[in-house]
Amino acid sequence: MSSTPCITITEVTKIFKTGLFKSKKAVDNLTLQVPQGEVIGLLGPNGSGKSTTMKMILGFLKPTSGQILICGQSSDTKMARSFIGYLPENPRFQKFLTGTEVLFYYGKLLGLTGLALKKRVEYLLEMVSLKQANKERVQGYSKGMTQRLAIAQSLLNNPPLLIFDEPMSGLDPLGRIEMRNLINTIHGENPNSTLFFSSHVLEDVEILCKSVAFLQAGKLKTYASIDSLIAGEEQRYEIVLQNISRELESTIFKHCPQRDVATGKSFSLEGPEKLSWVLSQLIEAKTKIVSITGQRRKLEEALFRANERLSLKEVSL
Amino acid sequence: MKHTLQISWIAIRELIYERVFYLLFSFVGLALILGMFLGQLTFGEQAKLTLDFMLGSMQIAMVLFSIFMGISLFQRELQMGSVSMLLSKPISRSSFLIGKYLGQITVQLGVILAMTVVVTLSCLKFEEVHYLAIYQAILLIFLETCVITAVTYFFSVNAGSITAALASFAFFAMGHYTTDSNRKLASESKPLIEIIAAIIPNLEVFNLKTFASYGVTISARELGLSFTYAMVCTVMFLVLAVLTFDRKDILT
Repeated sequence: MSSTPCITITEVTKIFKTGLFKSKKAVDNLTLQVPQGEVIGLLGPNGSGKSTTMKMILGFLKPTSGQILICGQSSDTKMARSFIGYLPENPRFQKFLTGTEVLFYYGKLLGLTGLALKKRVEYLLEMVSLKQANKERVQGYSKGMTQRLAIAQSLLNNPPLLIFDEPMSGLDPLGRIEMRNLINTIHGENPNSTLFFSSHVLEDVEILCKSVAFLQAGKLKTYASIDSLIAGEEQRYEIVLQNISRELESTIFKHCPQRDVATGKSFSLEGPEKLSWVLSQLIEAKTKIVSITGQRRKLEEALFRANERLSLKEVSL
Repeated sequence: MKHTLQISWIAIRELIYERVFYLLFSFVGLALILGMFLGQLTFGEQAKLTLDFMLGSMQIAMVLFSIFMGISLFQRELQMGSVSMLLSKPISRSSFLIGKYLGQITVQLGVILAMTVVVTLSCLKFEEVHYLAIYQAILLIFLETCVITAVTYFFSVNAGSITAALASFAFFAMGHYTTDSNRKLASESKPLIEIIAAIIPNLEVFNLKTFASYGVTISARELGLSFTYAMVCTVMFLVLAVLTFDRKDILT
């Protein structure tokens, strides 16, 4: 069981009929394996096939061709769905139910009963900070509270696979931080669970995920760990200087991006070799160095470059 | 089965929470007003007129309830997206659909029983009323709503809210139009109507309103046949709905 990948997508294609003679390929020959314990972010622009892929994993959509396995079980079986905890982008509940009733309802659908269910519901309400509002009808819940309740229902049977569709969508900055912390707590408590989530916000993905799958026009463009994506990129440094001479500015920093900051003039440099060379020149010219800061490459740029490289490879082929 | 019952229970609560009592109160209000005025307007046939009006109102109210609540219960889950959280659990789509259906039918049974009490109380002042005939007519109204609800679910699975509502009303209207005599006439003149008549169940089988007004009862055998006919139609449309829903892509 432990060697079985959590999600195995093999040559999956999904074609939607959009008219009598028209059709659209939403997912194109997608192959992807997600091992257990992984936190993976599914990225891509609108219409790239992220939601379609998630819905096929959940069995809501049937692939036109190919196969999806969840912990070794075909995704359209009830057994496969018992391995999944799902958080939709805009979770909605029957508004007349209270938070506790919602969890009892979904818990019973998962086959939980009696004291075990009661204890689990109490624990989850505590975990998602809804203990105070547990007797309140969900129609009075804020967006953040509804989102947290939806997370709680996804964790009821402690599933090995969690699928979160845009979990931060519509949340205010504080709500986003709370949600990130909650996701970290969930994965910290059960490190063997796999978290598969989609997001438009790369910052969230960068903070939460170990790896990313990038879809574009239904095709998998990149699937790699975030560290490996960023490691391939050169380190960037920001150096702030005071009273720099015009001569140095036009020679050393000729092609460097620059901007004025409160403490002086800031320049961006790429790579440790360039930094060493620039520093030696500055020391020689006795220029006052205010600060030097190392900047980690952003995932956005790394992905952009990775896709650029892929596109170039495709063109050259 | 457990899942189906769970979903039924929530559907019952949803209907009770939502609008079901408005229908009941409207019916009670209408019956009271009718009881007050009809007796003054007519002479000699107050009981027949009151019963005709009450049973007719009951039928229309129940058909409206079947169609609108059926569409609301099913389509709202799809449009709201709450269906995605339900179906991500290890339950079959048939459990979801049949659960909703059974929940709605249970509420409809409750509503029709309450309406029966109102009809009975309204008829107490009349001497020439045949209660068994009234209850037989009400039972068949209930059976008809079971069929209409199943048909509504079938259309809801296959189409949007408005189309499903229109199709269900058309089904109800044609089901009453395609009586045996009309079927014979149609087969002689319009083959298209003949085909439609052959597909759509004859809902006039469930119409005993006139019998009830005149105090005429039907035999247990006839009642049994109507019951069987209703069950066959209901199961047929529910099976079709389940088969379609099983193959449907859920996009919410």
